[in-house]
Amino acid sequence: MTPAPDPNGDNGGATKDEATLKVPTKDPKKKDEKKDEDLSEEDLALKQQLELYVERVQDSDPGLQKVALESMRQEIRNATSSMTSVPKPLKFLRPHYGTLKAHYEKMAESDLKKFLADILSVLALTMSAEGERESLKYRLLGSDGDIGSWGHEYVRNLAGEISQEYAKRQSDEAPIDDLMELVQQIVAFHMQHNAEPEAVDLLMEVEDLDLLVEHVDKTNFKRTCLYLTSSAKYLPGPDDILVLDIAYMIYMKFEEYPRALQIALHLDNLQYVKQIFTSCNDLLQRKQFCYILARHGTRFELDDDICADDEEREGLQEIINNSKLSEGYLTLARDIEVMEPKSPEDIYKAHLLDGRASAGASVDSARQNLAATFVNAFVNAGFGQDKLMTVPSEASSGSSTNWLFKNKEHGRASAAASLGMILLWDVDSGLAQLDKYFHSTDIPVIAGALLGVGIVNCGVQHDCDPAMALLAEYVDREDPSIRIGAIMGLGLAYAGAQSEQIRAKLIPVLGDAKAPLDVIAFTAIALGLIFVGSCSEDIAQAIIFALMDRSESELGEPLTRLLPLGLGLLYLGKQESVEATAEVSKTFNEKIRKHCDMTLLSCAYAGTGNVLKVQHFLGQCAQHLEKGETYQGAAVLGIGLVAMAEDLGLEMAIRSLEHLLQYGEQNIRKAVPLALGLLCISNPKVTVMDTLSRLSHDSDTEVAMAAIISLGLIGAGTNNARIAGMLRNLSSYYYKEASLLFCVRIAQGLVHMGKGLMTLSPYHSERFLLSPTALAGLITFLHACLDMKAIILGKYHYVLYFLVLAMQPRMLMTVDENLKPLSVPVRVGQAVDVVGQAGRPKTITGFQTHSTPVLLSAGDRAELATEKYIPLSPILEGFVILKENPEYRED
Amino acid sequence: MGQGTPGGLNRQLPGDRKNDGDKKEKKFEPAAPPARVGRKQRKQKGPEAAARLPTVTPLTKCKLRLLKLERIKDYLLMEEEFVTNQERLKPQEEKTEEDRSKVDDLRGSPMSVGNLEELIDENHAIVSSSVGPEYYVGILSFVDKDQLEPGCAILMHNKVLSVVGLLQDEVDPMVSVMKVEKAPLESYADIGGLDAQIQEIKEAVELPLTHPELYEDIGIKPPKGVILYGEPGTGKTLLAKAVANSTSATFLRVVGSELIQKYLGDGPKLVRELFRVADELSPSIVFIDEIDAVGTKRYDAHSGGEREIQRTMLELLNQLDGFDSRGDVKVILATNKIESLDPALLRPGRIDRKIEFPLPDIKTRRRIFQIHTSRMTLADDVNLEEFVMTKDEFSGADIKAICTEAGLLALRERRMKVTHADFKKAKDKVMFKKKEGVPEGLYM
Repeated sequence: MTPAPDPNGDNGGATKDEATLKVPTKDPKKKDEKKDEDLSEEDLALKQQLELYVERVQDSDPGLQKVALESMRQEIRNATSSMTSVPKPLKFLRPHYGTLKAHYEKMAESDLKKFLADILSVLALTMSAEGERESLKYRLLGSDGDIGSWGHEYVRNLAGEISQEYAKRQSDEAPIDDLMELVQQIVAFHMQHNAEPEAVDLLMEVEDLDLLVEHVDKTNFKRTCLYLTSSAKYLPGPDDILVLDIAYMIYMKFEEYPRALQIALHLDNLQYVKQIFTSCNDLLQRKQFCYILARHGTRFELDDDICADDEEREGLQEIINNSKLSEGYLTLARDIEVMEPKSPEDIYKAHLLDGRASAGASVDSARQNLAATFVNAFVNAGFGQDKLMTVPSEASSGSSTNWLFKNKEHGRASAAASLGMILLWDVDSGLAQLDKYFHSTDIPVIAGALLGVGIVNCGVQHDCDPAMALLAEYVDREDPSIRIGAIMGLGLAYAGAQSEQIRAKLIPVLGDAKAPLDVIAFTAIALGLIFVGSCSEDIAQAIIFALMDRSESELGEPLTRLLPLGLGLLYLGKQESVEATAEVSKTFNEKIRKHCDMTLLSCAYAGTGNVLKVQHFLGQCAQHLEKGETYQGAAVLGIGLVAMAEDLGLEMAIRSLEHLLQYGEQNIRKAVPLALGLLCISNPKVTVMDTLSRLSHDSDTEVAMAAIISLGLIGAGTNNARIAGMLRNLSSYYYKEASLLFCVRIAQGLVHMGKGLMTLSPYHSERFLLSPTALAGLITFLHACLDMKAIILGKYHYVLYFLVLAMQPRMLMTVDENLKPLSVPVRVGQAVDVVGQAGRPKTITGFQTHSTPVLLSAGDRAELATEKYIPLSPILEGFVILKENPEYRED
Repeated sequence: MGQGTPGGLNRQLPGDRKNDGDKKEKKFEPAAPPARVGRKQRKQKGPEAAARLPTVTPLTKCKLRLLKLERIKDYLLMEEEFVTNQERLKPQEEKTEEDRSKVDDLRGSPMSVGNLEELIDENHAIVSSSVGPEYYVGILSFVDKDQLEPGCAILMHNKVLSVVGLLQDEVDPMVSVMKVEKAPLESYADIGGLDAQIQEIKEAVELPLTHPELYEDIGIKPPKGVILYGEPGTGKTLLAKAVANSTSATFLRVVGSELIQKYLGDGPKLVRELFRVADELSPSIVFIDEIDAVGTKRYDAHSGGEREIQRTMLELLNQLDGFDSRGDVKVILATNKIESLDPALLRPGRIDRKIEFPLPDIKTRRRIFQIHTSRMTLADDVNLEEFVMTKDEFSGADIKAICTEAGLLALRERRMKVTHADFKKAKDKVMFKKKEGVPEGLYM
């Protein structure tokens, strides 16, 4: 039911009326009479009048001609048409279109001729044959009068013809000046008449969006920019950058800085960010910018140009460094009253199950303790207190160490590191509490402590840079687990920092011939995290060499696959920049070549929504492989990574993954749940939940494990009761199988992550911005999950801590001008897509009113419910500074 | 779903335990399928729910919409490519053919048709056939259990009565009859006058289906339906026929009295079915003629029959503007007693537009006379103006009757042309009948 955009498509009844009457009668004369009779008297009068005009136009007397044209124009303009039919004057003039055209050709050049051209242009609206573009032709020949006077439909038709004409002239390389003049007029008309999308569309067609900047005004720039930014997601190639650039310029013009900053971050253009800082002098505004930067996870050094005052600069830098994150998070927790620490048993809720399952805790208690460690770490993340690790040591001397030593060897590393997770973002007390482990004689404990230091510092920068000071010296120790702890700690603490100092420290490790494979793998990942999206060539070189140095047998190891991943992270989201490296990767040993290729591509195009890449990955998955090949897993993850950019692609990708499940072999099937988990991260969609629940009973344990972990991922930080119930049932279903039970436990920990105050989603700011470090953390975790047995269920379970990079509180915290928490009422509801809608539509639906701080789930949006304050950022997420509204009056 | 919730929970756990036990004993067997989770939301849209494409938000025609639709198309093409590739790589034709015949053997023939009463666990259900008692039977493994739901029609093995398949098409045959397959011959050209009415009905019914963006542009919701009312014979049904003739949307037509059924609950069920079918085949137009058969004002009903009629109307009310939103379904009602209809039926939101069909005025009368006489051979002395200008109240149908009557009179006398006298006689006759036996010219 989508009819062709035919301007005269809606005259159905009226013209059909004539057509059907004409056919049966044979005598032409009779037909005419009959038609006249059909018309009402007024219509008849109008018709005769118009015929008279047509005759007069062909008269020789110019005066008479002019009068006739004038009155014809009057008639056409005055016709109040309904939307269902062609205006009457146009209808009656249809038969004379040919005569008028012929007459026009004969006419001498004069004003009158232009006049006639105008009228012909309007008549062509209904008359001209498809593809003739006569309306445009006569418009160009006619006078340059006000374009809007002929009505909206006319302008619309003209715009359509212009875009066709433009394409034609482009291919003929003909001049387009006259067209552009018309475009100017049409755009101005559209912008005045609330038709911003049409104006933008026309300018996109004629590839001249710059014109837009002149025409927007205070009333319509928001709608225009909204349309531009949402189109950008679907535009191919360089067009999207162009569109965003225009949106940026418009926002800058109207001093809508927070939005401009969003676009600058989306473009990853630090130049623009600087420009925003320099053009906005309001200190409060700047503080808000800093909050946005901090949420995005960019390291941004303010220099003297931006802020001359030292004190101010320090204040701003502190916000960017996220120093207050822990404080804000705890305020939220206190407000929601979830400070009470939770033990793993509170999460498992074994009492809800039948007696038998809970009694079967006999199997592999070490692994169960390890799982409890992780659950404890995830659930109490950032709260600074728990029931296992931080119980006051005075009460029962050293009970925390007791828990530590309930874990076996390498399990102790994770246990020690979990303390870092519990004290997440709170650098000072975190380091103080971790300090005691540094004096331990137990090697895994030291390794864990090093990792813990990295976790505490994740996403937060401290003035004295303690992570570097503490970890640097351990990088070159003898023991591989200590080295891994230190290296991974550095990677987490400095993710995205692009620090030269660390590069100098870590690159030699890659080249170290004596270093074992695992150290090298983690070094590659750490470097990838620190230099995420930097396209740094010498690091790429170093990793490539390290990869080439591996022996044949080492290449078969699952850990080797982390090396290409480290390489890929360097190019995260950088699209074409990866090509040179991808070429090099073609020379690798065939065991790793394909895998490397897939990983590089998937990272480079992550979050772009590039359909061609999805096609490429699907093509790879369509092949049936010999046993032992693993690259298809990376390809499946690639589909998820690329498609997660926008909602449509996301939903369609979920559909595609269904097919992969149906046709794919085991190595594809085990990656599909992970890709689903990535697509719906922290967003428990019911359909995906059902699919995963089905897969969690799969006969293949690897598929089942991946599905279980993914259940945890889609519910991460939501406390979703349905997933929690499913996992509880799974824990009794798999009570005898230690490794599956371990996965169930981890998933349970993820679902209750931060007691439901956190999200793992790398997208923020109304799903517009993608935090590269968060995504990098997720990718690393998912790649590790591709070979669950060797990595997570083996002795490298601490890769789970890579998730810390993506952990962020899902809150809206409003602060006053002194950055003190301020409680105001806000409405929170499901976000509605309002792009291109008329009027001022509601942006949220099904809302509830709460007072801040509040939690925002996936797809939620908040708006202030009071007029008393003005938010400094239009996107109410994370920290938002409120300013008092001077015009507010208490009722 | 009333008894389903508590039962569901209990059912799941023992099921799990049993599976677990099996698993330990014989490893080779694939794990039993999971307890079905989708049962609760089953009711929504059936199995197609997952296959539905995402909605594309700006309804206005703009580039963004185009881009979004193209994106969806790209993904669908990729899916197609992938699936065809897989099919090509794994030619399964023969094997499936073999499997199919095996399945057919298992099913046996003939199969009896029954009703699924309740699902007990993954492999067992209680079924009933139309004749007799209920049975506890097994469900064969090749039956798609995701599509089984209590109350659906199933195929049963003729001897052991186990479930061997399910009948998917649940459309009530009563409803499928209502679908207008062949467009009526009457078009807008056959309507004399009624210009305003045609325009209104087009704006309210056709335009929202063909050009939804017009309404989006201006920021209003298109009307859901219209009611046509007026004296008998003023062209309400004719207009509806013209709509059916010109639209390419599905056109469902019902007469109000069809909705009254013999058994309790059948009427409302029919209404539900009707709108469900309309929704499935959307965009569609539902035309309910003589709505006063079910839509009269509510008052204390004395008989069960009256109460049932009222319940049918209540269902209609709910379908028109109830909890579930109707997408591209437009409703046209027609009646000649609008004052007797229940006010709830006519409130805006259910029926947004009331279109009155007045008796034809002089201009319209002339037009109608022309339409009806255009194919008659008239004598030269016929002066239709006389009838057009008369003060009697004609409806469109009366005029048609006069023309037909005049033609019959001419036939009776074996004339080839219809004369003025024929028309005069015909008019008197028609008016006599209309005034219920009081001859014209008598003053009452």
